[in-house]
Amino acid sequence: MNSQSAPHQESEQTRGEGASASSPKESKIKGLKCRECGRLYPAVAIHICEFCFGPLEVDYDYAAIGRRISRRSIEEGSKSLWRYHELLPVTGAPTVGLHAGMTPLIHAKRLGRILGLDNLYLKNDTVNHPTLSFKDRVVAVAMTRARELGFDTVACASTGNLANSVSAHAASVGMKCFVFIPHDLEAGKILGNLIYNPTVVAVRGNYDDVNRLCSEIGGEYPWAFVNINIRPYYAEGSKSLAFETAEQLGWRIPDQVVVPIASGSLLTKIRKGFQEFEKLGLVSPNDRLKVNGAQAEGCSPVYRAFVSGKNHLIPVKPNTIAKSLAIGNPADGFYSLDVVFKSGGAIAAATDPEIVEGMKLLAETEGIFAETAGGVTIASLKKLCAEGRIGRKDLTVAYITGNGLKTMEALSGALPEPVGIDPTLASFRKTVNPTN
Amino acid sequence: MTQMRLHLTFPEERVRDPIIYEICRKFPVVVNIRRADISLDSGWVELEMDGELADIERTVLYLRERGVHVDPLEKSILEG
Repeated sequence: MNSQSAPHQESEQTRGEGASASSPKESKIKGLKCRECGRLYPAVAIHICEFCFGPLEVDYDYAAIGRRISRRSIEEGSKSLWRYHELLPVTGAPTVGLHAGMTPLIHAKRLGRILGLDNLYLKNDTVNHPTLSFKDRVVAVAMTRARELGFDTVACASTGNLANSVSAHAASVGMKCFVFIPHDLEAGKILGNLIYNPTVVAVRGNYDDVNRLCSEIGGEYPWAFVNINIRPYYAEGSKSLAFETAEQLGWRIPDQVVVPIASGSLLTKIRKGFQEFEKLGLVSPNDRLKVNGAQAEGCSPVYRAFVSGKNHLIPVKPNTIAKSLAIGNPADGFYSLDVVFKSGGAIAAATDPEIVEGMKLLAETEGIFAETAGGVTIASLKKLCAEGRIGRKDLTVAYITGNGLKTMEALSGALPEPVGIDPTLASFRKTVNPTN
Repeated sequence: MTQMRLHLTFPEERVRDPIIYEICRKFPVVVNIRRADISLDSGWVELEMDGELADIERTVLYLRERGVHVDPLEKSILEG
């Protein structure tokens, strides 16, 4: 379970430092920095501080970035997350996921009316390219960085969206791809990966066994394991959701955001994205911003810590229909809790029936078919409004992170049957009553 | 010899038990605590464990039987 970087780390390390010294583009990344002790490392494929075991984060040279970035430079960029290239942890031109991001920000007037919000917006990543979830952002960044570091093989452990995205992006650039899943995962869930022809490895064991094996493999093989040794870069892709939100709001920071929590990384990076825009003078600071979290009650370690007022998370065994949020011991759980506490936000949790109702409410009011995680977000938003934590006039953004076509089984039995008629007008008039 | 890096979470009912001491007595593994945060009602420890793979696996099994949640250092890697 050693979390070493790839065997070719030495040469990559040398290469990374050399490029940093010679390339003006490289200068935006100073290296990696331990989130706990602040120790510095070169920008290579490592993720843990060897000194204190804290997680590593990308350390940017904001002064250098500030000299190059402006609203205009962003607006003139590509219609993808790569318009924020200066604030993403890659040194050259993007090579993977060129069309990810720049998803719609929708003023949700009909849903807002029901929830009592005049200024509700939905960031709609159900239409992200190419695999219809926000994972296309993090994977685009992770794999571009992985290629810069010389990797030809990418890997992940996933039961859904992440596997889809890694498999599709690997296929698009001809990288070798390994996807690890528990052996008893439903067949339908792996079809969406197999079409891209990765090597899907079904591990005989439970979730803990898969975790442990992947940690060991991450330390043994010269692969870019997107959420292990590439995690510092991978996680940064989530910032693009904040960047796009601010730009699409007319260069403003919202008053409230509602973000689903799985590993917790998404929530912390959305906050970081807003902070970076503030730091670089691209937006006016908004001290009122409250960062709120949403979890499924059947897997809610962060929510439970929040309501108990503690900063220790107790791992749970997931039992929810929101599989994409089912992370029992989230790597960034503590940090997401910290962001919520410090911003004055809150965390709500939704039961499985509430998740389905949230999916239906979103679809019926805004025409957006979200996966179960979207149901969690909408159900939690509803609760936060009912508790008075989000005010009618607050500029509020809720993040819808995946497409409902991926979790159709969650709606089994929850929707009305089609109206059956004979092929006659009389039958239509009698049965459907079209004037209603 | 193998080294594993583990994140152990202690629930309230186990936080006062000398479980790290127990595993060092029971199994031929060397434990090196690198980071920890313990309170009266919960806590976590991050450590390196050196030993033969089979001994480490027996130790992890024992920890789980004692009610300690054992993850790799990265915690939950398997994502949706």
